[in-house]
Amino acid sequence: MSNKRDDSFFIGWAAPPSPLRWFMVAVAGFLIVLFAFSAYVIAATQADPGGGSFRFDWGRQNVVGVLSLDPYPVIHVTESERFPAGHALLLSGNGKRGVQERAEPLDGQLVQASGVIINRGDIDMLQVRNGEAGLSAAEGDAATPIESEDLGRWRIAGEICDGKCYTGAMRPGQGLAHRACANFCIIGGVPPIFVSTVPVEGEEFLLLAGPDGGPIPDELMAQAAILLEIEGQVERLGDLLVFQVDPDTISVF
Amino acid sequence: MSVKYIPVQWNFNKYFYDLVLLICVAVYILVFIRIGTPEAGVTRPIDGAIIRMRAFGTCAFLMLTVILCIGPLARLDRRFLPLLYNRRHFGVLTFLVALTHVVYVLNWYYAFSDISPVVGLLTTSETSGQLLGFPFEWFGMLALVILAILAFTSHDFWLAFLSAPVWKRLHLLIYVAYAAAVAHFALGYLQDATNPFFMIVAGGGAVMVSVLHLAAGLKASADGEQAHKGEWIEVGDPTVIPDGRAIIVRIKGNERAAIFRNGDALSAVSNACAHQNGPLGEGRIIDGCITCPWHGFQYRPEDGCAPAPFTEKIPTYDLRLEGDTLLIAAKAHPPGTKVDPLTVPERDA
Ligand code: FES
Repeated sequence: MSNKRDDSFFIGWAAPPSPLRWFMVAVAGFLIVLFAFSAYVIAATQADPGGGSFRFDWGRQNVVGVLSLDPYPVIHVTESERFPAGHALLLSGNGKRGVQERAEPLDGQLVQASGVIINRGDIDMLQVRNGEAGLSAAEGDAATPIESEDLGRWRIAGEICDGKCYTGAMRPGQGLAHRACANFCIIGGVPPIFVSTVPVEGEEFLLLAGPDGGPIPDELMAQAAILLEIEGQVERLGDLLVFQVDPDTISVF
Repeated sequence: MSVKYIPVQWNFNKYFYDLVLLICVAVYILVFIRIGTPEAGVTRPIDGAIIRMRAFGTCAFLMLTVILCIGPLARLDRRFLPLLYNRRHFGVLTFLVALTHVVYVLNWYYAFSDISPVVGLLTTSETSGQLLGFPFEWFGMLALVILAILAFTSHDFWLAFLSAPVWKRLHLLIYVAYAAAVAHFALGYLQDATNPFFMIVAGGGAVMVSVLHLAAGLKASADGEQAHKGEWIEVGDPTVIPDGRAIIVRIKGNERAAIFRNGDALSAVSNACAHQNGPLGEGRIIDGCITCPWHGFQYRPEDGCAPAPFTEKIPTYDLRLEGDTLLIAAKAHPPGTKVDPLTVPERDA
């Protein structure tokens, strides 16, 4: 009558026969091990997101400096406890917002600014506080205009990033997975930067500008977060390199 | 077919199955966040939200891979059938895990801005026509939408409402979801990841799914090699059918019949259960009735009718002998048609 083969018969509503039960327990055990192992391997091999971060440990920073509006708001420090005179601080607002509107009437003037620093290597960004306390005109004149030097035309390989996340507002704050976020930041007015694969004049990043020296054109947005090569004019503005790119010269790797 | 919804009761097997699924997901997330991530060499810690979106995203992908392996595995080795039986809960859970991934993405990459996440999702991922940088988010969304539809229609009510064949075809979309998920990973995370491990896991999974399907397909067509003789299909030696069990024969295309032996009586019925297309030929005869392996619906072998008070009916087939060889009619009788059982030829097995 019933032979061995019957042992593996399974009916949904009945308790499974015992050899099948052990098989199921073995499968369950295998699955749990498989899930644990995959999780470990994938998690333990995640790439290093770099050392950028918010420097809440530095406390609130108050600086005085000369503001330049184009292509994106930057303060060239004249007075600060932490930064040497001449150091450039990229500016951003809270979240994925820039400070263009607040900076516009202050272009070229001496300003005081206050907020928290985001730092990665040589890059410093000041996330300014809301209101007058965050950014306003300071007593005195912008005595010396910011020095600028034309460094000629360059073709550079690298990645278009938003200056805030890359600098450490997010870790990692670059790469394809982060691309939509980079677009949000750049559209919102956060200064975009070009992270070069090899240092340019000793700098690993350059502030991006459009061909006319203003903000970058929208078409570059689709090219954020991927490795590409692009050509443009490089200019040194204080201790900051500005890269006026020409969107027609892009080639993607 | 009437729209009638017959609920399947909860039972021990289901609890066990769901418990194992939940443990798998919990173990994955915990190991990823608590044990694996601290082992990654980092200058400063990765953002918690990003760790979580990675954990849930990769977990959903692994779940989808396992789900797609179950079907062919069950065809290759019948002991895997119990996994097939409750696969829908697996699907729904996968959808929830994928959804969690999306929630973390939206609350991080798409947040802290004046632009709404939905608008952002549709406008910020512009493509410039090249593969690199193609908005991989779209593939992820496609996979999620499909998983949502499948999860929503997974309930037995929809199966009865849409009819089994339509429901089954709809749920083949799971393959589209998997392809989309593979593309989502390949164009997104993989191009970013500087290590090969994830590539190995993801690629290995996709390869395994394909190989298993091929193997199961080959086996099915080898099993289905029947000699056609006019209106009759040659089956072979009837004495090999064990008492109380069946063999499955392919009639044409997807149509299969199950030939059951009850004592020395042979009867042929459609292989598809009237409930949810369960494989009747993998069931057996209990109390004189063919019993479906999936949820235990029963049918009389001689006329394909469920015993009173039930009303399900399945098609039956004529059988005849030519010498020692069993033949089955290529054309089925309407559901519930009585066919006199054939007597197994006297021979010592
Ligand atoms: S498919 Fe549910 S009992 Fe047959």
